[in-house]
Amino acid sequence: MLKTEALSFSYDGSHIFTFPDILLQQGEDLLILGDSGVGKTTLIQILSGLLRPQSGFVEMNGTRFQNLSSKSLDQFRGSHIGMVFQQSHFVRNLSILDNLLLSLYLSNKLQDKKKAIHLLQEIGLSDKLNNMPDELSQGEQQRAAIATALIKAPDLILADEPTSSLDDNNCQKIITLLKEQASLTNAKLIIITHDQRLKDQFNTSIEL
Amino acid sequence: MNINRLCWINIIRNPSNTILSLLLMAFGVGIISLLLLLNKSVEEKLQRNLNGIDMVIGAKGSPLQLILSSIYHIDNPTGNIFLEEVNKIKSNPMIESTIPLSFGDSYKGFRIVGTTHAYPKLFQVNFQAGKLWDKSMQVVVGSDVVKACQLKIGSTFYSSHGLIEGGEIHNKYAFKVVGIIDKSNTIIDQLILTNPESISKVHDRKKHSDHTHEGLEGGCSVDHNEMITSMLVKFRSPIGLIKFPRQVNETTNLQAAVPAFEINRLISLLGLGLRSINMIGFFIILVSGLSIFISLYNSLKKRRYELALMRVYGASRFQLVKLVFQEGMLVSILGLFLGLLFSRSILFIVSFFISKNYSFYSVQFSLIKDELCLFPIALSIGLIASLIPIIKAYRINIPKTLSNV
Repeated sequence: MLKTEALSFSYDGSHIFTFPDILLQQGEDLLILGDSGVGKTTLIQILSGLLRPQSGFVEMNGTRFQNLSSKSLDQFRGSHIGMVFQQSHFVRNLSILDNLLLSLYLSNKLQDKKKAIHLLQEIGLSDKLNNMPDELSQGEQQRAAIATALIKAPDLILADEPTSSLDDNNCQKIITLLKEQASLTNAKLIIITHDQRLKDQFNTSIEL
Repeated sequence: MNINRLCWINIIRNPSNTILSLLLMAFGVGIISLLLLLNKSVEEKLQRNLNGIDMVIGAKGSPLQLILSSIYHIDNPTGNIFLEEVNKIKSNPMIESTIPLSFGDSYKGFRIVGTTHAYPKLFQVNFQAGKLWDKSMQVVVGSDVVKACQLKIGSTFYSSHGLIEGGEIHNKYAFKVVGIIDKSNTIIDQLILTNPESISKVHDRKKHSDHTHEGLEGGCSVDHNEMITSMLVKFRSPIGLIKFPRQVNETTNLQAAVPAFEINRLISLLGLGLRSINMIGFFIILVSGLSIFISLYNSLKKRRYELALMRVYGASRFQLVKLVFQEGMLVSILGLFLGLLFSRSILFIVSFFISKNYSFYSVQFSLIKDELCLFPIALSIGLIASLIPIIKAYRINIPKTLSNV
């Protein structure tokens, strides 16, 4: 279960972002829509524990983020939360497969190579296992980035504008992929975006 | 996959970043290590040949020249001295033993030294074949001479006048090899030894024919019955060292030089040069540190997002610090070992080419004590160079980095 209450944050003290409360059960999806400047990125960082809110709290699986030290929060995020960004980023000197293994290593999980290969095959990258990230197309990169987030079977998938830089075709593929994988591992999925194309794809959505 | 492996991959996948730092470090370390090795080998060689020689008596001139010519056989002698005059000194109770040396002739560039049996015994040499001379015109040869001139027991040869190749051949009397000395790593390896009478004999015959070419390189005398080139002296106690040389220099026509003192002077003169080259080596190491710093700093700038991403994956601050730190240190350590290897390869090549005459450069592949100081120097340079990038990695602001896509 993911629960937030009365979250607010301010960068400079004068302009305060306030966010609606969220309650999400295991296996549920949520679309958060908002235009630029309404604090989408801020919210995703608070939800992932990268930023600490000025008021309110985030609670996940019974753990309140504010009660964790920054080190334990890093570990918690590593093992429970998978993140996908608008721009896909990788450790550039590692192959796609090694990026997945690194993700497993850093979240203290078993580096199961078979599982990583299987996942890459599932998302259609079976012939790119040993390619460097730079050698992939943008659509492929986005899929690979999702794989690095999913490989550790997180309880929560947080996607920040995952489709904004993709064409309609790729956009559809990515959303289907995210939904599929989330339901496969029974993970909660939150997508934060200004991309109106996604509006009809989700049952639950919030406007910021 | 782990941090160590990632660190290694980062280094080898970015050769252009790494190679300059690596080469600079290797070069700096190599220069210093080369100097240390050379220094040690030369000093050892110098000291080994000094064994049991407290003082050298010869003709007036430069004391260093006297030492170099009589002990190391690498300079021309200062001249000849009358045996009569030397004998007066010899009876002094402070003196334990003396060894006369007469030289001025050579064979294929190797010096022929007229002396007593005490001279080879001073170096505790072993015989590979044969024995010491017991008659005039018999010679015992060092191992380098044997190798270069292809001599064996029973070989005969004529000496030539002067200490360098190409002098007039004394072809009336031939020398005969009766003994071959094992390699001793002393100056004996490069000498041909005989008794003083043989030297006189060769020259007595010549006495009437020509006196003229006894210039600088010569030093052989008109009458060797009365003259020798120099005399090596051993004292009964170190007190002799303090009083005796001064006494000789002030009251006689002879010159007394103390090798230990002269060699220390020589080493300290050389040391000045060595120190400045050492400084250059150290400076290059510093530049390599700067290069490590710049390449770490630049790659970190490019990889900011990458590091933030790793934090998102669950990496702790410590793991990022470890990654950056290891990259800096690995380059320093690799450079260090490359440098040590570099100096040895150079020595090996050099010794290969010049081992014929002056085998000063016997290559030592194991680490020498002086080189140990290179370890902390290289490591601390690596550490200092990584410090700022480490702090940057530690302080990386994930939200800011991630939102500045």
